[in-house]
Amino acid sequence: MIVSVDVGGTFTDIVALDESGNMILYKGPTTPKAPEEGVMHGLSRLGKVSTVVHATTIATNALLGQVNLELPRVALITTRGFRDVIEIGRQNRPELYNPFFRKPTPLVPRELRFEVSERTGPSGEVLQELREEELTQALKEAKGRGATSLAISFLHSYANPRNELRAKEISSGIFQYVSISYEVSPAPREYERTSSTVVNAALMPVMRRYLESLRESLRTKGEPELFIMASSGGLIDVDEAGRRPVQVIESGPAAGVVGVAVLSRLMGEPNAISFDMGGTTAKAGTVVNHEVETTQDYEVGGRTHYGRLVKGSGYPVRFPFVDLAEVSAGGGTIIWRDEAGALRVGPLSAGADPGPMSYGKGGNKPTLTDANLVLGRIGDTLSEGLKLNRELALKGLRELGDPVSVARDAISLASLEMARAIRLVTVERGHDPSEFTMFAFGGAGPQYALDLAEEMGINKVVIPPHPGLFSALGMLFADRKFEISRSYPKDPETEFLEMERELKRRVPETKYFLRYAEVRYEGQGWELTIPVGDPKRIEDDFQRKHLSTYGFTLDRPVEVVTIRSFAVIPGLPFTLPRPKAKSGDPPFTWREVFLKDSWERVKVFKREEIPMGYQLEGPAVVEEYSSTTLVKEGWRGEVHETGSLVLRRD
Amino acid sequence: MKVKWEVLSKATVFVAEEMGVALKKSALSPNIRERMDHSCAVVDVDGRIVAQAEHIPVHLGSFRVGVRNVLDYLEREGMELREGDSVLFNDPYISGTHLNDVGVLTPIFVEGKLLAYAVNKAHHVDVGGPVPGSINPSATTLFEEGFVIPPVLVERGGVPVKDVLKMIRENFKVPEYSLGDLSAQLASNRLGIQRVRQLVDKYGREMLTQGWEETLRYTERMVRKELERWPKGRYEAEDYLEWGEDFLRIKVTLEIGDKVRADFTETQEQMDGPLNAVLGVTYSSVSFAVRSMMEDVLTNDGFYSVVEVSAEEGSLVNPRKPAAVGGGNVETSQRIADVTFLALSKALPERVPAAPHGTMMNIMMGGVVRGKYWSYYETVGGGSGARPNGDGESAVHVNMSNTLNTPIEIAERQFPILFTKYMIREGSGGRGKYRGGDGIVRGFRVLYPTKLSILADRFRLGPWGLNGGERGKPGKALVSGREMPSKFTVLLREGDEVVVETPGGGGYGSPG
Repeated sequence: MIVSVDVGGTFTDIVALDESGNMILYKGPTTPKAPEEGVMHGLSRLGKVSTVVHATTIATNALLGQVNLELPRVALITTRGFRDVIEIGRQNRPELYNPFFRKPTPLVPRELRFEVSERTGPSGEVLQELREEELTQALKEAKGRGATSLAISFLHSYANPRNELRAKEISSGIFQYVSISYEVSPAPREYERTSSTVVNAALMPVMRRYLESLRESLRTKGEPELFIMASSGGLIDVDEAGRRPVQVIESGPAAGVVGVAVLSRLMGEPNAISFDMGGTTAKAGTVVNHEVETTQDYEVGGRTHYGRLVKGSGYPVRFPFVDLAEVSAGGGTIIWRDEAGALRVGPLSAGADPGPMSYGKGGNKPTLTDANLVLGRIGDTLSEGLKLNRELALKGLRELGDPVSVARDAISLASLEMARAIRLVTVERGHDPSEFTMFAFGGAGPQYALDLAEEMGINKVVIPPHPGLFSALGMLFADRKFEISRSYPKDPETEFLEMERELKRRVPETKYFLRYAEVRYEGQGWELTIPVGDPKRIEDDFQRKHLSTYGFTLDRPVEVVTIRSFAVIPGLPFTLPRPKAKSGDPPFTWREVFLKDSWERVKVFKREEIPMGYQLEGPAVVEEYSSTTLVKEGWRGEVHETGSLVLRRD
Repeated sequence: MKVKWEVLSKATVFVAEEMGVALKKSALSPNIRERMDHSCAVVDVDGRIVAQAEHIPVHLGSFRVGVRNVLDYLEREGMELREGDSVLFNDPYISGTHLNDVGVLTPIFVEGKLLAYAVNKAHHVDVGGPVPGSINPSATTLFEEGFVIPPVLVERGGVPVKDVLKMIRENFKVPEYSLGDLSAQLASNRLGIQRVRQLVDKYGREMLTQGWEETLRYTERMVRKELERWPKGRYEAEDYLEWGEDFLRIKVTLEIGDKVRADFTETQEQMDGPLNAVLGVTYSSVSFAVRSMMEDVLTNDGFYSVVEVSAEEGSLVNPRKPAAVGGGNVETSQRIADVTFLALSKALPERVPAAPHGTMMNIMMGGVVRGKYWSYYETVGGGSGARPNGDGESAVHVNMSNTLNTPIEIAERQFPILFTKYMIREGSGGRGKYRGGDGIVRGFRVLYPTKLSILADRFRLGPWGLNGGERGKPGKALVSGREMPSKFTVLLREGDEVVVETPGGGGYGSPG
């Protein structure tokens, strides 16, 4: 039996698939202090397990100082003269007009930063050898000051790691946990590389302890193989996750996009937008030509502004991350008015506790869920049996004006925010959203999907099976990926082959390789990522992509900055029970729903009762265990053989 | 159904933000691609700023003055813009900042009719003139700073105007960067146009312009509401720039009423050096300080309409052409912001921190290596002032700049220099109940003979404290161990080391 475990902030979702194709779903509470307990509780009803694939928020939680996960004391060793690079950062302030702005507190306090004499130049020439006695002294002091994890970052080590590797050799005798910048993030820009290394060092003890204890707990289940979802969207093994925990920070959100990649491939959709909306946030990502799009521009613990990261508000981590834009718009997002009377939505959220007013659990501010309830877009009974109180929702909205128009305006403002997130991952990357199919999931995603599709000019929307647990479901079928990268390759063709040989040695079961190149015009500072088939075509592909992204090309040499190779072991074939075939029309009930500008009587279906081959006509509402889909007028729906609900308009 | 103006307003802010990202990612010079020394805005037919992205403060406020100047100039010269035209300009007396900030303005036509303008400014690392970086500490007129470009067409009907580009190629000292950055600027405006057109397709022209109108009205209403809560009155403050042995006086009288009016009548007259600030800079600095007293306000023309600045022509903060102005943008702007904050501290004591470093510590250097000219511009942050409720932040750009640093590993790859240190300047923050933030120490060695200029300030008198807090430590520059003044140009020999130390912020409350 293969089991997928998605531990989120509120819920632990588990999807298990046995040898005969039977699927078991479980949604239970997360146990933040010791997530493995919630996991084991969910697994207790299952028999022997052969493989576990796992998305975890433990890294994010540890970094954000949540739930008593204590970060270790990290010491940092740098080139002499540069110990404060980590504190100076990029010298900018995160907010322009706030005189009370704060920079993030450095993860390593000054008394734990040490300098040693050594220096490498920009072309990799060693200008000064490492003074080993200085290092030994620094290590002793660091130990004496209570450091338990060590980060080493020397200038230009990406160009020649000799001094760093030597320092690691010496340190490993003294520290159990050592992270060096060359192994974490071998590319120029010292602050970002050092920051990535320090974050790695901070996470290493936490992550290794967690993985150990999870592995220990899993013994009772037959010692299954354990894979962790990386932020890049590939599954990595436990050793790699322990060595470079920095790559599993966005494990959970990545799982959703990976699920979309798997499902969209199966449905013959090369380009897909993944839209995942839960209780507090909405996330958008893309799949282009069947591959998940990734980025290297990420700050952990950073704030976002209209879905874009506020530069300098968090700790940069340079590693491939699934390219996600996240906005504060979820079912629990609060609706309010500012002093001048303008209607606002978010960023505050009522979360799951107290939750929306209609939950009747003491929430006293109206939320998007309340707005949807008042407009009849969701029913008043949630699947878990929770009854929603429409009167409470109305009461809250009435304080802001006419409840119906407030609800309608709030929903359109939230949709605009979310459209922004989608725009960031499509338009800003040079993609036209109207050429994409949107996959909408998460508890709240299917309610907004068609509004957003219309906003973005998208004509086809897919609601995957079990939208509320889709991240866990999708992960079951994800590929396992192992990555190697090199900066400034002299001969890409040869070096790709070398990297692939190395990968094959590490991962003999590799089925195929993926190649990427990060390319720019000589002199530019930012690269475009080009999927590589034939290395000779990198330049042409780059020119084309530059033209489509920025609208011009330059008459300058083209430079390949980094090449990246992935070894891939394909995931399980996607096999879900086929939905039942058509045998008469499905039953439905009627409900008053506010659509566009007026109330209309709308058919309400149960999703599991809609057979394949049935033509669903909007307006309609489709309800199911973990979500509700609003089918707008002008849209038609059909159940696909994967169990997905496919919605189209002309 | 009528679309809420909020939707149209946000959508337009997004346009400006996207323009900024495109500019940065496709630019060539480290100054733009690494330091993000550029800004973008969408402006309506009357030259009012409808939306801008939060980039560099000194650029942003100056758009308000600069765009109108450009439009007036075009009208005076009888230059009617057509679809596909783009205007290039850097004359500070028109653009409102300094020569380095090269502006590109592109009209947005929809179905043949003018709807708005996309505009951006980017700090070009070299715009000609006698010193690398074109900020010349010894300039006495504009002509000793660099190449002056009045508003001219750089694209006509979508086709580049080659003659203009040729002039740039022969006058800007690192033309490859400049022409590359210019391509990025044009691309950024093209993207802006495309996005605004999409908004028109979706909402219609009328709804969009009405939405803008409402946005500006709403913002103004919001700002006026905020002002109602401020104590009415006149608040005076003065502060100084350093010039040789002299102190140059900047005095403001700030009147808070239904608007905020800043009067610089008692500021000294213009000077024979590069510290004159054109009116656009003065306006940017005052409006920046006022804006910083408000929380969640859109920074568009609705906001600007309640900030007024008056300064006599011929004064340090509104000079007559052809006075030199290169440092006005980068140093005087900081002092105008300081003095405005100081005046505001008398009205709103809980909202104003002590003075920050107050100098951008501009470092301009370059020369010829193997037949090729190179030019490198850097600014270095310092300590922020202590706040009424806590210590200041260290090593950061405050007030009129917010550029990033050039990473050492990028600078060393690009320029013939080798860095020796980059550290927090410990103990430089002013003492007080709360301490000012610490400045930065940045040092490097040159590997070839190099011409170096530094234009900085607060070397003699550190940034002020508030409420009994002490001054932050003044700044310093050392060339091979020799202490230098705050403004100079020297020729460095191979191997010379330059070290700059930036001021700490002022303290707050008596150290007691």
